[in-house]
Amino acid sequence: MTRALVYVGKSVPRDDSVEKVTGSARYTHDLAFPGMLHAALVTSPHASARIVRVDVADAAALPGVRAVLAGANLDVRLGLYMRDKRILARDVVRYQGEPVVAVAADTLDIARDACRRVRVEYEPTAAVFDPRDAMKSGAPLVHPDLGSYAHLEGVFFPRPNTNIAHHQKIRKGDFDAAIDSAEVLLEARFDNPPVQHVPMETHASIAQALPDGRVEIWTSSQSPYTVRHLMSVAFGLPHAAIRVHVPYVGGGFGGKAGLNLEPLVYVLSKAAGGRPVKFVATREQEFNTLPSRQGLHSTIKIGATRAGKIVALKATYVWDAGAYADYGVNVGRAAAYSGAGPYAVPNCWIDSFVVYTNKVYGTAYRGFGHLEVLWGIERAIDQTARKLGLDPAEFRRRNLLTLGDATITGETFTAGHGKPVECLDAVAKAIDWGTPSSSPASSTKRRGKGIAMLHKAPAMPTSTSCSAIIKLDEDGAADILVSGVDYGQGTYTVLRQIAAEELRVPIDAVHINSDCDTAFTPYDWQTVASRFSYMGGHAVIEAAADCLRQIRAVAAQIFGVAPEKIVCENASAYPDGEPKRAIPYRLLALGYVYPNGNAIGGPVIGHGRFIAHGLTHLDPDTGQGRPAQFWTYGAHGVELEVDAETGEIEILRIATAVDAGKVLNAGLARGQVIGGVVQGIGSALWEGFRFDKEGRLKNPSFVDYKIPTAKDLPREMVPILLENPQPDGPYGARGVAEHPMISVPSAIGNALYDALGIEFTSLPLSPEHVLARLAEKGVKP
Amino acid sequence: MLGRFEYARPKTVDEACRLLAEAGRDAAILAGGTDLLVDLRNGSRSPLLLVDVKRLEELQALRTGPDEAVIGAAVPLNVVVEHRELRKAYAGLSDAALSIATYQLRNRATVAGNLCNASPAADMAPILLVLDAKLTVQNPQGTRAVPVAKLFTGVKRTCLAPGDVVVDVRMPPLDGELRTAFRKQQRIRGHDLAVVNAAAAYAPSRATLRVAVGSCAPTPVLLEPFDTKGTSPLALAAEVLRAAAAATAPIDDVRASAAYRRAVLPALLRRLLADVVSARRAV
Amino acid sequence: MVDIELRVNGQAERASVPAGMTLLEFLRDRLALTGAKEGCGIGECGACTVLLDGRPVTACLVLAVEADGLDVRTIEGEATDGELSALQRAFVDAGAVQCGFCTPGMIMSARALLLRSPHPTDEEIVEAIAGNLCRCTGYEAILAAIRAASEEGGEL
Repeated sequence: MTRALVYVGKSVPRDDSVEKVTGSARYTHDLAFPGMLHAALVTSPHASARIVRVDVADAAALPGVRAVLAGANLDVRLGLYMRDKRILARDVVRYQGEPVVAVAADTLDIARDACRRVRVEYEPTAAVFDPRDAMKSGAPLVHPDLGSYAHLEGVFFPRPNTNIAHHQKIRKGDFDAAIDSAEVLLEARFDNPPVQHVPMETHASIAQALPDGRVEIWTSSQSPYTVRHLMSVAFGLPHAAIRVHVPYVGGGFGGKAGLNLEPLVYVLSKAAGGRPVKFVATREQEFNTLPSRQGLHSTIKIGATRAGKIVALKATYVWDAGAYADYGVNVGRAAAYSGAGPYAVPNCWIDSFVVYTNKVYGTAYRGFGHLEVLWGIERAIDQTARKLGLDPAEFRRRNLLTLGDATITGETFTAGHGKPVECLDAVAKAIDWGTPSSSPASSTKRRGKGIAMLHKAPAMPTSTSCSAIIKLDEDGAADILVSGVDYGQGTYTVLRQIAAEELRVPIDAVHINSDCDTAFTPYDWQTVASRFSYMGGHAVIEAAADCLRQIRAVAAQIFGVAPEKIVCENASAYPDGEPKRAIPYRLLALGYVYPNGNAIGGPVIGHGRFIAHGLTHLDPDTGQGRPAQFWTYGAHGVELEVDAETGEIEILRIATAVDAGKVLNAGLARGQVIGGVVQGIGSALWEGFRFDKEGRLKNPSFVDYKIPTAKDLPREMVPILLENPQPDGPYGARGVAEHPMISVPSAIGNALYDALGIEFTSLPLSPEHVLARLAEKGVKP
Repeated sequence: MLGRFEYARPKTVDEACRLLAEAGRDAAILAGGTDLLVDLRNGSRSPLLLVDVKRLEELQALRTGPDEAVIGAAVPLNVVVEHRELRKAYAGLSDAALSIATYQLRNRATVAGNLCNASPAADMAPILLVLDAKLTVQNPQGTRAVPVAKLFTGVKRTCLAPGDVVVDVRMPPLDGELRTAFRKQQRIRGHDLAVVNAAAAYAPSRATLRVAVGSCAPTPVLLEPFDTKGTSPLALAAEVLRAAAAATAPIDDVRASAAYRRAVLPALLRRLLADVVSARRAV
Repeated sequence: MVDIELRVNGQAERASVPAGMTLLEFLRDRLALTGAKEGCGIGECGACTVLLDGRPVTACLVLAVEADGLDVRTIEGEATDGELSALQRAFVDAGAVQCGFCTPGMIMSARALLLRSPHPTDEEIVEAIAGNLCRCTGYEAILAAIRAASEEGGEL
């Protein structure tokens, strides 16, 4: 008889809300230590230049200045997938905003004062800003030494003496033959500008270089163990010598994965005699110096039969990596293996190039390239449908992956993948697809509907792993230790639910660390990729089972029965059929003491882990392999209204369906969907970096980089969570964190075509952009 | 810290004028501070002395009446917005104030401050231009009235000199039939600077329509009056659009291109005229 | 240095501050009230919202000296004797908190709204928090929380 779930699947409230609503939650921004110094930066005004001379004498002489460093002082290379980066620019600067000199001083004012006294002489050199230009022969090389950079061999393929940091290929079937046989052809180009994550808490890190060679770090990060590992690699320190704390994090969205400010504050601390050093990015630095989401230029070609089946798809993705491509190469890889959308494409040819340019560099961002790729793919799918005279939803139905189909890397689609068609049908129904919109109130407005699909698997190394420890307190409560980070998405609550369910204890008796500390919380890869609930869930289930095994072993001794005969329920253990003899966990948590004083057992500590299994590298020539631990599918349906005189778009309704497998916590899942949709609307309608002709960022603040406010919401947002189980997911769950954002721009772009009859191919769909296209077309309101 | 400077909070306008005149270009007036403190932070202004005028009694006036309406220079925008009589008399003025920034910033920012910051996109400028408003300005030499139409001399430049303190903004005697309106084109519905803005004042009894346009020239621009005798402002739309196009010279900037400004201004003005025609009369 | 006297969360405070110190710096660095956050430093994001004489302001654009003689309320003064206010409880119950960085400023804007308008319309609620940026929640749950708190009425 299966037991009904008590906590998993319920909207259990998160338990860190009280700290947050009282202002007592402490973020790296809020931390201070005795003797702590404050750091400030001198950044490059040029997009590309040789550093001729750096004069820090006046800066160093200022009272209160404890350390001044420039790139010449630091022979350290940073990077996980591609070691192409320095802590401070050395010899050359590669983007406007790049850190050149760092100062640590008693106060932030002194540090900034000192920075103003630094004199740097630059010799500007030829720069390249468009990645398509950067790919041409003769383009200025952003990294002339690319050939000498250490990188993850067998996974990434930089091309020396070019600006190409990585080239990912998908070659499935025979594209050339298939395209010749296609009865309908569609070719189109699409563009995405770089955007920024805009976490409300800017990047911040504190480091203290201890006298015995150890280092302690506090950082606003999504990945304490990656910080530790990369610091170890960069500085040649053993992992145990580096301790990373992650307190509450004020949003990440991918920008705080990997290594960011930690090496900087560490070297400053070393130079300042071991005093702790804190650096907090200003908002301008967050936009201009810290990393962004790569821009993308896509060329997509689709061949289909008159009957509406896709026979061939070719895509060329040119990623604008900016000045450094460490994380960017993985985005380029992941986007390639997802790069044909959730469709059965028998013949597929994809080239995904990650290309250096002299702009602020890209990193992971919610969706990991999928929003950018699907902007092109989902728009191209709509255009192909129109060429065929088919309803765009129907065209999708005919081509969505279904049982037995192979993906473009050769994975087989199974029932365990979920049901993309159900997602499509759900959003179509939610926006009354097939029925034209009702007339707008004003004659200058137009309405339209659009649909787009989404899919994503966690883009992660084939050996990605996660672990959890559960220890029981003296009172029988359970403490979970993990190093995944809850930076708002709510996974800690989900893990508590799972632990409570598995351990058979009340949810209030389950706690989880609010801070991560690599000295105590066990390994987790990174909190990105929508895999923490999935992998952390498994680790917690295993850890709970381990606890129960220990409890049963002791209980078995007490009751003189086999351990299999012990039932754990209601935070107690008893022989099967004899609940009245139950012994509460609190009498077993530290072992058991017989009436005569004899003790058996011991402190109950369970551990669990999960490692990605069955994944393979992608073949360098064909891209075939198994990159995905699981896929999550979804769809958006949008109805919008556009003012043909001003170009302003209002989203009337947006439905978002995601096949979650199992909704572990409906309230939290809804939060991810609404938050992701609104973030997606930002990308769709307003967000984008703007550079001048010299490659300088023109909108590094909220004055001119606009994100949605409470006034910018759609009239109606409809989250739809489907539950077709992931067989190997904890309770059947898949990750859903990134997905609600992914095809929002695509659905809006498709709806905009319906409203105006204009194919928009670049983002954002700002009022200015929309009006310009209307004027081009000669559309009179 | 936003800088190294002295802070003075004089008790009278005379004292404020004296301090400012003495310090010359090394002093700045601190009212709401929402523009000044941003400039201090980014280093574009570095005065040695801030003279806080917020608590000066003479700058707190807020009244309407048949003879004049007065908005003290230290009155925060939210207080202006919430003043019922002012809204009835000058709906366009209330709307302009409400369109500025955020609720928090409107608890600090002032009408006078918005004008004296002299951004070409100043949201209070078009409405005060069409209302023929005047600034009461005091300095050690005395008090004078400066028409808003004479205030702006260039991008972020005014005709005011060190030692000048704006005491209040005054509207002329109220025409009971007056109708006013304000429109602002933004990039986003949330808080934003104007891509273009415009205000209209329509006095049917005098058969006059006045229109002013902002963010399309180095200063906000007051168009020549339009004669509405025997007709409605709506019927004059083509003439208004022509006059606006002739009097403005939009540029490309990070906010918008000249082309977008030129393209959206006609729609903005047509909607503005429709607003002003259907607006309630002042009295 | 300028001597100032003010009330912060009901307590009298006296300090000597540089004229250039912002109220935000004063609260965070001098009084260790780190609830108000710096999100942008230019009044655009609302993360530093506190109440000054009952009105919400962005503390990054107020000098500490300007608060002389005035009454300041921060998030730390919202709960009473460790008991959450109805507004705080509404945020907790509505799932209006994700990363939490915007939350103190958001609650102060909402607190100010309910003080001036105990039963606000939906438009008033939106206007009250439109100056508080949130990147995580998409605002829906925050608006619901404020609505719920206003409907509960009674002791705010």
